[in-house]
Amino acid sequence: MTIVLNCKGFKLPRVEREKFVNLLHLGLDYDRNAGLFSIKSFNNIEKVIDAASDILGDDIVFLQHCIRCGKDFPCRGCNYIELCSTKNLPFSCVCPQCLRVRKNFETTYLTQF
Amino acid sequence: MTSNEEALMWVEKYRPQTLTEVVGLKDIVESLQAFMRTPKTMPHLMFAGVPGTGKTTLALAIAHTLYGANWKSFTLELNASDERGIDTVRDRIKDFSRYSRTGFGETIPFALIILDECDQMTGPAQTALRRIMEIGSRTSRFILICNQSSKIIEPIQSRCAIFRFSRVEKQAMKQHLIYIAEKEGHTLIPEAADRIVDFAEGDLRHAINVLQTASAYKEGIIDEKTVSLVIGEASPSQVQKMIRKALYGDFMDARKIMYDIMGNFGFSGTEIIRQAQREIFKMSDLTAEQKAELSNITGEYDYRLTQGANSDIQLSALLAQFAKFGKGIEESYADPK
Amino acid sequence: MQTQNNMLWVEKYRPKKIDDLTGNDEAKALFLEWLKNKRHTKKAVLLYGSPGVGKTTLVLAASQELEFSVIEMNASDTRSEKTINAVAKPATSYKALDNYTKNKTSGNVLFLDEVDGIAGNEDRGGVNAILKVIEESLVPIILAANDPDIEKLRPLKKVCLLVRFQQVRIPLIIALLQKICMLEHVSAEFEALERIAQNSKGDVRSAINDLQSLSEENHRLTLQDTMMLTSRNKDITLDDMLKRYFSAQNIAETSTMLAFSNIDYDDFLLSVSDNLPKRYSNPSELAKAYDYVSRADLFRGRVGTENWHLLKYFYNALTLASAINPLSYTPFTFISPPIRIITLFWTKGKRSTLDAICGKIGAQCHVSHKTAKHDFIPYIRVLLQKNSKSPLVGWFKFTPEEVDFLLKMGRF
Repeated sequence: MTIVLNCKGFKLPRVEREKFVNLLHLGLDYDRNAGLFSIKSFNNIEKVIDAASDILGDDIVFLQHCIRCGKDFPCRGCNYIELCSTKNLPFSCVCPQCLRVRKNFETTYLTQF
Repeated sequence: MTSNEEALMWVEKYRPQTLTEVVGLKDIVESLQAFMRTPKTMPHLMFAGVPGTGKTTLALAIAHTLYGANWKSFTLELNASDERGIDTVRDRIKDFSRYSRTGFGETIPFALIILDECDQMTGPAQTALRRIMEIGSRTSRFILICNQSSKIIEPIQSRCAIFRFSRVEKQAMKQHLIYIAEKEGHTLIPEAADRIVDFAEGDLRHAINVLQTASAYKEGIIDEKTVSLVIGEASPSQVQKMIRKALYGDFMDARKIMYDIMGNFGFSGTEIIRQAQREIFKMSDLTAEQKAELSNITGEYDYRLTQGANSDIQLSALLAQFAKFGKGIEESYADPK
Repeated sequence: MQTQNNMLWVEKYRPKKIDDLTGNDEAKALFLEWLKNKRHTKKAVLLYGSPGVGKTTLVLAASQELEFSVIEMNASDTRSEKTINAVAKPATSYKALDNYTKNKTSGNVLFLDEVDGIAGNEDRGGVNAILKVIEESLVPIILAANDPDIEKLRPLKKVCLLVRFQQVRIPLIIALLQKICMLEHVSAEFEALERIAQNSKGDVRSAINDLQSLSEENHRLTLQDTMMLTSRNKDITLDDMLKRYFSAQNIAETSTMLAFSNIDYDDFLLSVSDNLPKRYSNPSELAKAYDYVSRADLFRGRVGTENWHLLKYFYNALTLASAINPLSYTPFTFISPPIRIITLFWTKGKRSTLDAICGKIGAQCHVSHKTAKHDFIPYIRVLLQKNSKSPLVGWFKFTPEEVDFLLKMGRF
């Protein structure tokens, strides 16, 4: 099974102090009140994901955030997955629907600029 | 004329120390002497004229006259083409006016700043200089030296009394050379003196350097042959060689010489192209029309060099034009109309 | 508008606002956080990642928006410690200088682009020079490196906040191209844009350049048009480029090649100039080709830091020099690296000796270095040749090396 996370904030099970420090060191941020982790630095993003999936004992896939429609979507189903050097990492993107629908593009364009 | 006994280069040794000792330049010296009588009234000065005509000498003589033997404490000598940017100039002037005393109290309430080769400064740098002059004018007087006053921005010109120096007159130069030779225990043959005067083109400094070098060849008499030898040995030959190689179809060799001049002699693209301009007119195997045409081409690339990014590319392009031109000459001989 | 039409689209659509920058949102956020609030934690920030992903654009947009004055310095022009010191040091000590901050409220930042160019060059003190600049600087410093591999820049890690830039994702590039097509009234097939984006390998700049060169002419773009796009090979060597340049059968071929390469055009220009005589043996052809190269250099000189629209004419002139006589091409071995680099490398020591000599003459005879070089050295050389023990040596305070240099100098 694969665990799917949204990049804005996610929960991890309680870990021992050493691992927790390591996670922060790698570039995670922890919001004590909400109990959520978020990603602060992307310098070691691959290592962050490795560490997190280690803790969760499963593969992690991050959802992408579409800059046009605002929805979250997985990389699965993307036509360019073979060419992408950042697949499954939590970055913004454009979802396949928005990319092909010109109407949608025009509304985004007109509202955004 | 008194001489500066310590100096070993004759240009320094025989550089006049006071205004009264300066040969020629009668009108300029008279105006300056008026300022010297009441130094307070002295404005900023600008000396404009071709090299070796006494601009620096007069500036230094003013310093001597104002401050006497201790002139170095009250005088800042700067060369715009040597200083790295206007910021360095500003800093040095600032430091100087801070640490140097403000002249000799009441009678000479200022220190002297001599800034040579001002026309080498860029427009923005000159604008900055103008501000420096404004700030500094309470405690300092400037003597600005340049080859062409037209290259100095208007606001600076209008703040200065401008003096124009013309080429040193041939007869005066000849007499001066003979005088120096005599002082040094040599006899300068008149024909040899003429040869030096012709070569120096009104530049006294250059003439004296030729004379001193010639004196090292032979004790006693300096004749025309020795002078020619010195001129041949000391005048640029590489640039002419480069031009010849290009004209006679050996572009690669010509370019090699070009890089050699830049690398080994430390000459800039501009210096080489200006020298090339002079060399063209010395080449006896070209007709007047051909010289004019080559000079025209050179002018175009002199301009491009000032605008472009890489001087070696512009020089290479110039050499390629020479090679094409040389080929044209060759063909016109082979197939006379 | 005429000037607008002549512009490169990469410049025309270079985002002026931080928000308009495509991709790398997280890097943006990290960098802005540093610039706004965290400058006290690290004095310098290093933005790194492959070319064309928006590092320079971010710096320019952010400084505009946050009202910093950027003192920009392209590190690839300055490959030695000496030059870095000359350029970067005065800039870093400008903090107190009013004229730089007159219209800006937030102060200065020093921006050193392409630091991997110098940092990799350890024998010239590259990394140490940068470290020194950072250490002595009074203003915050932004460094940018094109090498996505951070290993080479490891020594900078201690003093810099590292911000990694990722390749921009293909859908984001397609979206950007769609936007530009709309603004430029280009009707483009989706598949064509898709192909350009895929081909760019995450380099936004090259994608926009491709789009412009393929569609500017008739405002239409089909998949067919993009078929001539050869894959952008980032590892293409200078020799490959020269070979394709000199063997081009027509200027269209050269034009395509230049548009689709990522090579440093300054180095390329120098190498073209070096090799031109090997390509054209006929003096008329050589002169014609050199005339174009000279013009290209002219435009290069005028491009400077702001007239980027002139870059188009630079490429145009360079292109014209490539196919003066296509039929005469026969393969030849290239002169590389540029002759100038070899020459200057050889003479660096000589140059400083000459400078020292000129300085000493200047001090004694009240003349500039230039006059010393032209009007004194030729004579002093002869005087020393006549008598190498001449008292002149002591008077000028020449060192034995300097005397030796003058004696061996030869005739100019």
